[in-house]
Amino acid sequence: MADKQASGSFLRLMSEESQASDLIIVFCDDHQETILDQGRCQGAPRRSLGGYSEDEDAWYPTRRWDRNVPLRNLPVSMQEKRDIRDRRNLQRRTIGCWESWRRSQRTVRRRMLEQMVQALSALQLWGRTLHSIEGRFGVSVKVYFVFLRYLVYLNLFNCLLTGALIQAPVFIFRNNIYSSTFKENDSYLDFFLGTGFLERSPVFYGFYTRGSLDGKCLNTPILFLLGVFSVLIFSLVMLVRRTVNGYKHKWMLSGRYNFSMSFKVFCSWDFCIHEPKSAAFKQSNIRNDLKMDLEEERFELLKSQRTLKVRVKIYFLRILLNTVVVILLGAAFCLIYIGTKYSHQQKDSKNYPWLYSLLLQYLPPIIITLVNFMLPHIFRVIVKFEDYSFTSQVNITLVRCIFLKLACLALFLFFLYDTLQKSPQNNQSCWENQFGKEMYKLLVFDLLATFTDTFFIMLPKKLLSEMYPECFLLKVMGRQKFLIQLNVLDLVYTQTVTWVGLFYCPMLTQICVCKLFAIFYIKKFAVQRCCKPTQRMFRASTSSVLFHFVLLLGLLMAFVVLGINLNKLKPSPTCGPFLGSSTVFNVTTMCVDSLPVHVGDFIKFMSSEAFAVPLIVVEILFLTSSMSLRSANNKCIERLKDMLVTCSSDKWYLVKQQAAWLQDQRSPQQSSSRAGSVEGSAPPEPRAHLDFHPLPERSVSQPCDTEPVPTHSRPPWNES
Amino acid sequence: MGNKQTIFTEEQLDAYQVRYSNTFIAAKVNILQSQLHGRYHELAPHLVPMDYTNNPDVKLPLALIINMPELKENPFRNRIVESFSEDGLGNISFNDFVDMFSVLSETAPRELKAIYAFKIYDFNTDNFICKEDLEKTLNKLTREELTPEEVNLVCEKAIEEADMDGDNKLCFTDFENMISRAPDFLR
Repeated sequence: MADKQASGSFLRLMSEESQASDLIIVFCDDHQETILDQGRCQGAPRRSLGGYSEDEDAWYPTRRWDRNVPLRNLPVSMQEKRDIRDRRNLQRRTIGCWESWRRSQRTVRRRMLEQMVQALSALQLWGRTLHSIEGRFGVSVKVYFVFLRYLVYLNLFNCLLTGALIQAPVFIFRNNIYSSTFKENDSYLDFFLGTGFLERSPVFYGFYTRGSLDGKCLNTPILFLLGVFSVLIFSLVMLVRRTVNGYKHKWMLSGRYNFSMSFKVFCSWDFCIHEPKSAAFKQSNIRNDLKMDLEEERFELLKSQRTLKVRVKIYFLRILLNTVVVILLGAAFCLIYIGTKYSHQQKDSKNYPWLYSLLLQYLPPIIITLVNFMLPHIFRVIVKFEDYSFTSQVNITLVRCIFLKLACLALFLFFLYDTLQKSPQNNQSCWENQFGKEMYKLLVFDLLATFTDTFFIMLPKKLLSEMYPECFLLKVMGRQKFLIQLNVLDLVYTQTVTWVGLFYCPMLTQICVCKLFAIFYIKKFAVQRCCKPTQRMFRASTSSVLFHFVLLLGLLMAFVVLGINLNKLKPSPTCGPFLGSSTVFNVTTMCVDSLPVHVGDFIKFMSSEAFAVPLIVVEILFLTSSMSLRSANNKCIERLKDMLVTCSSDKWYLVKQQAAWLQDQRSPQQSSSRAGSVEGSAPPEPRAHLDFHPLPERSVSQPCDTEPVPTHSRPPWNES
Repeated sequence: MGNKQTIFTEEQLDAYQVRYSNTFIAAKVNILQSQLHGRYHELAPHLVPMDYTNNPDVKLPLALIINMPELKENPFRNRIVESFSEDGLGNISFNDFVDMFSVLSETAPRELKAIYAFKIYDFNTDNFICKEDLEKTLNKLTREELTPEEVNLVCEKAIEEADMDGDNKLCFTDFENMISRAPDFLR
């Protein structure tokens, strides 16, 4: 009855019954309808599903009699909604007042909730802009802006945390009065270098002193630590939540339910498109997308047919090109090392003109930005020679770019740490301020680079292409595209720098919020004015799950850097809230010691190995049980899927039996010639059919009015 | 509209439980009613009366509705209008008109949209989406710019992916199962 067809690592049953001949299918369909819709007369309108009587199975699960379903969610026409409403009103009169009060409360609550949700979603930042961007450029560009908005919300909340825990106590309990006046040596360059005026302001670590809040456990240093760690932990929780949700939807489900083609057919049209140009554009997008899918299938087919010689050649080429990539990365890292060293050495010499010394100070950020600007384009060119399918090309380039970005930052931080550790601690008037200044410079330069890129590179290119459309140079450079992945990586970079530098530059979250606002408007201008929507849709990695995951990597890097710095570097003795302590955690040890004995002992126990090892063992147990539960559920799902197929083929089998029997009923004289062609195992079943379904007799007898109604109930072929 | 005359009685307003379509701010139900009535009236001013208090039975043909700006560029406009009409041929009364806007608005629940989407894609109205329905959908979607073999390949792959009960057609449960797993990039 059914044969198995291998798909993936599981076998799926394929029903053989459904591949029966068309004639029987048409006949079966007619009869299936007459069987299934009893009360329906021939000329009834197709659309009103209310024609079905209430006890029957319509083709969609009916929920009309579920009183909790609001009327407007029912898929029936207005007239039927009125009927149902009257019926419900009638019922309302027959139930007690307690029950009706409860129901009305439920509806009131539901309506209030709906209105609240709508109001909140209307209040979301930049709603209309995103809507219009989506309309012109498609969903993938909107993903970037939605990610940006999410980062803005995250940073706003972090601002609240730092404001409450770090800045407010220092301002309230400050010993000396803070005056934000310009002194003689200050200049506007201070905003770029972080010296002078800015160095004395709350932007950097040095501003925060112990002040008058000096309890054993409630003092400014502890609040400072608490603020920084709460920001990091809050960000960790939010990111993990989002990544896990996305992972669940994207990877776990798509392994089992791979609906990519169905989604493209059914879900790709945007029903909000009004203009003919957008419609034509969307249609060509869809067409290109489908063509790319088919192209990839062809590529896979070709790939499986490669000979050994070709394969060896391709692997050799790939190894060569990967070596080239590694060499390029190594060169970039060397450049960064040289830049950092040189900039640090020349830091103190005052003989140079101001522009040169400014450039020297900014040398590491300049190198990092240049490297991150040029290498991705080189990677995109290299990957074309490695003979991968288009989706793999995009993925591989993305992985390389992510590695480049995070590794550059990590190496820069490592060199910085190295420099700070090696130089004698006395000379550093406040090494934390130094570190904070580097992070601040990274952020500022990134903003400047974005601004320059949009207004001095993309805008002139666009204006030129409008004025001289046939220019050869422009044709070589290609049309301007909004590269989503690279822009998202820039956002991740910004956020990572914010997290890393938060301890040494506590106002970095506020600066980051301002920067993200500026980036939004700059990029909005870039997209709307300078870029044209691309004909080819972005593949694979526009999913926001990947971006959240990369952000998580950045956060982990921040944790690691902070951990190493706090453990290995001694707080400087001249500035900051921790002056005088040998390590930052002295304040926490003092606080724990001041607590009652039992509480202190309990806390000490929790941070010792005796607690950590059993905790790890318990976690491993949980993991193992979840994994075995998961594999058991997998097996269950496969069995249920097979059951679906068998049930459906059973249904078809019975319908065919029915149809054959009914056809025999209609034309009894032909039955003897057809006796052998019906299913071999037929004889006992038709009688059972009679017992189960007396109804078909009634519905079929209508068209058979002209023929004599069979007077016997036994199937004709039993006679022979 | 600005006119002060009542177009609907209170009872009629109550009966139309319309959702807010594509506006960011929740408007009052009767304002939206007047807007929708205005749109309906614009399509055929000589047919549609301004006063609906005695429930006149007026139906507008398909050709008028599909020229509305919201539907003009939609490749499925014929099917949309047909599936909301009571006779299945596209003649829309005001009730059906309100219904259509109501379901197509942003705030309609996903299950309701899935039911109507299934009806729209079911070209031969046999309560299954078979391969021919899929081919027609695809041709409308890409304006027939794919070759027949490509269309065939895509349809076969789509059915293979979404068909759970092995009958080579998509019934409503298959369709709903597939739609409910559509990725929401922007969550």
